Amino acid sequence: MPSTLKRISIASALLSHRDLERWLSHAYDILDHEGIGRFIEFTSHIEEEELQRFRTARGLRLSDVAHLLTTFLRGLSGTELRVAAGDESYTDTVTVFLPHAIDRYADLERDFMIYKLLAAHAWAQLTFGTLLPGKETLDKFLGEQGTDSPDIAALFRLFPGQGMAEHIYAVIEAVRLEYILRRELPGLMADICDIKNAYLKERPSLQGLSGKTLFVERLYQMYLGDRCGADRHEDADVAADALCRLAEHQSHEESLHSLMIICRQAEDARGEYSPLPIPFPLMIRPAAVSLQLRARRRIRKQTVERAIAKLLSMPEVRPRTRPAGRSTGDERRAIPEREYLLISGRVLELDAELREILDDRGGMPGGILVKGAGLGAEASPLTLDELVAEADTVQQAAGGIPYDEWDFKRGGFKKKWCMVHEKDIHPDAEPFVEMTLKRYRGTVTLLRRKFELLRREPKMLRRQKEGDDIDLDAVVEAYADSIAGRSPSEGLFTKYDRHERSMASLFLLDMSGSTKGWILEAEKEALVLMAEALETLGDRYAIYGFSGMTRNKCDFFHCKSFDEPYSEMVKRRISGISPKDYTRMGPAIRHATNLLSDVKARTKLLITISDGRPEDYDAYKGTYGIEDTRKALIEAKEQGVHSFCITIDREAGSYIRHMYGAVNYAVIDDVRQLPHRITEIYRRLTF
Amino acid sequence: MQHVIKTEEFTIGSEPYYQPLGREVEIFETAYANRIPVLLKGPTGCGKTRFMQYMAWKLRRPLITVSCHDDLTAADLVGRYLVAGGETVWLDGPLTRAVKAGGFCYLDEIVEARKDTTVVIHPLADDRRILPIEKRGEILAAPPEFLLAVSYNPGYQSVLKDLKQSTRQRFLAISFTYPPRETEAGIVSHESGISEELCLKLVSFAEKTRNLKDRGLIEGASTRLLIHAAKLMGAGISSREACRHAVSEALTDDEEMLRALGELAASIFCCRATFSTRSSSGTTSSGTFGSISSMMTRSVPY
Repeated sequence: MPSTLKRISIASALLSHRDLERWLSHAYDILDHEGIGRFIEFTSHIEEEELQRFRTARGLRLSDVAHLLTTFLRGLSGTELRVAAGDESYTDTVTVFLPHAIDRYADLERDFMIYKLLAAHAWAQLTFGTLLPGKETLDKFLGEQGTDSPDIAALFRLFPGQGMAEHIYAVIEAVRLEYILRRELPGLMADICDIKNAYLKERPSLQGLSGKTLFVERLYQMYLGDRCGADRHEDADVAADALCRLAEHQSHEESLHSLMIICRQAEDARGEYSPLPIPFPLMIRPAAVSLQLRARRRIRKQTVERAIAKLLSMPEVRPRTRPAGRSTGDERRAIPEREYLLISGRVLELDAELREILDDRGGMPGGILVKGAGLGAEASPLTLDELVAEADTVQQAAGGIPYDEWDFKRGGFKKKWCMVHEKDIHPDAEPFVEMTLKRYRGTVTLLRRKFELLRREPKMLRRQKEGDDIDLDAVVEAYADSIAGRSPSEGLFTKYDRHERSMASLFLLDMSGSTKGWILEAEKEALVLMAEALETLGDRYAIYGFSGMTRNKCDFFHCKSFDEPYSEMVKRRISGISPKDYTRMGPAIRHATNLLSDVKARTKLLITISDGRPEDYDAYKGTYGIEDTRKALIEAKEQGVHSFCITIDREAGSYIRHMYGAVNYAVIDDVRQLPHRITEIYRRLTF
Repeated sequence: MQHVIKTEEFTIGSEPYYQPLGREVEIFETAYANRIPVLLKGPTGCGKTRFMQYMAWKLRRPLITVSCHDDLTAADLVGRYLVAGGETVWLDGPLTRAVKAGGFCYLDEIVEARKDTTVVIHPLADDRRILPIEKRGEILAAPPEFLLAVSYNPGYQSVLKDLKQSTRQRFLAISFTYPPRETEAGIVSHESGISEELCLKLVSFAEKTRNLKDRGLIEGASTRLLIHAAKLMGAGISSREACRHAVSEALTDDEEMLRALGELAASIFCCRATFSTRSSSGTTSSGTFGSISSMMTRSVPY
């Protein structure tokens, strides 16, 4: 460690203040995500070229235009692509890696032009089959070695010199995609020749290169120099010929054919292949693509499994059937016989993907396979995509939703530090809600009456100067007045007064282990009474709980979402609320804030109910936890969410004021008071 | 003398330009013949209103259009008493006029109207085909020529802006989308008079903006906006400027998004000279992109 400190001090001498901050922040990120080993390794590299990356670059920095480029790519592709800095330019289908700065021209706009060209090439690689040639094409090339879900990496494994093949493919595709881009984005490509020429001037001379390296370099220079076509008769070899042909209309399949031809020829050249960098346009990294595709398939599979599990837990829906006798024989169209999976009364179309999952699981408990032609028409089967979309509107893949966490010692955020997982509370059959209502019978009646009075319905206002309709009483009066010689009133109209309450409240319940017993019971009772009051009032509300253990497992339990009615299921979920693990409040508050920001309402209220200080299994305790919670509440406030914290803590220490000071709070020392107090608090807050 | 026509006498004289995309004309005609009300849905500016005009012309009926807004009351549609000269006078609303005249009543953007307003059309929109005028104690039976049509944009994904099932299940629905590339270019070309080749590029730009729907833009560029842009181009305004004023600025106020749309437009349209073709030493800057330098000076939070 002392040596690390020493290196940091050396680095601080070499870097300016701002650059050092950037360097250290990067080091912290490594520490957070990759551990101390990588951190020490990173800090030990204080050579000039390593530090150079953190110096304020001359020219155009990617971080300054990353957002713009992301939108640019989004517009081109219609999908979400990330832009990130990388050592070379390529895309793995999820992220487009670009140089962290471009400083080729004195003119920033011209530098930006290069970024745009690289981004456009990345889009073209993804859209026109370079990286995703499709199963059919791949099967043609892979033949026997094909798998169920082949990707481009499998294809490149066929080549003896894989690195060389990748470079050749990069050049081939650069030629082909440039042709496409000239057609699709002519404005962007207007200056392409100049830019390529500038790159060409920086290439090493062909003399001195030998064998394979020379072969590839010559191809690349042909591309940069736009020498396809022009010098055709000179370079009358097969490779050049193949490359030149690409400049015309070619499909990605033909492009792969050319790759095969050119590679075969390249392999004949002598010597080892010592790759020279290809700075423009993009490299091709089949392994990275394959990694992403496999990850995506895995996540998709998990999502489907989760969706099916959710479907299994849902109450049974009777499949809709067509009333008998309405369809006569002639009407019926021939529907091909298909297989369907019946789960909980829902009908799923059995496609290849679902079949694979079923095979892996070894069947589907609770699901029935049926075969039939008519079923599809009758019960409108779900496709797998619909199922996933239905079950997975909030959840981002299997990894949970990442949130930053505030580290007060560092005075900065730990990026994407906590993973919030949204889960359903397991419903319990115990009639908890009914019992509570019975126990608090008197209070409930009182509550309903109190909140009914508060309910505002659209009122008809009479005798208005302007309005929707004529107030006949007023007109008659005015008529009489004018005949009697008095000046008539001007208010002759009626008008609807619409004081709509635009209010959304989210109740966030502490479900940590420490609430076990009285506290949780009281929390649940409080919820029941609150729900009763809110139903009377007609305000929108949601109920969630939170608990968890360590930053990777911040559980966020769904009990009732905003658009869900207060159904039997919700009541059973309230009944099923049970003590879990620890109290990591920050991520729960951040996620709740996020949910609230998606709701359309003029006033947004977050009410947390907890039993004391935030605490987790790891270092999330004491001042650290208090500071993060405080920060999360301040963030909520900035996003227009009003927070109110109710804490049940007999020894409510001085920290409470600091932690909740930014927002409003109430301390309740007697648990049994909570159900009575909470509705009162709500009334006070919202009227 | 000013020429004033009554709403119910407003008929469309000459054929409006409408390019059918599917069998919507036929379906509309069948619906009309069978007295089924029609619901037109689709994003803004994709031809719903034009289609109504075309059908009104084709079937030779007067067309009464009501643009719905959130203050539209039942009285605004049906009619109201006014006080005139010490007496109350009844004045028919547009819906009543359309029923009496046996015309087309087209309620544009029906979801914008208040929920209690939309229910007045219910008795008209089922097989009863009557319009009760409560205040006068009358019931008006619609003649066979009368047709009710409403439109709405399902793209607004707000819970508040959804059509009630009891309303929507009375209608026969025709869905409108942006036409296919070539067709849309043809429409833009016809409406603006500029070449189809340029229009194809405009459509390509529009497609890119439609990719940004829900990803920074609320809607993509409509055909109507493209026609505006094309008209500007036809008047000699450069294509990038036309895209900016007719499309980008109409779609968003967000600086960053405007810049990105500018980049997309610049990528698609070749312009005369953004950069001089001098090599690296050249420091020419262009109007469309004076912003990078200003972005550089903005501090970047790290």
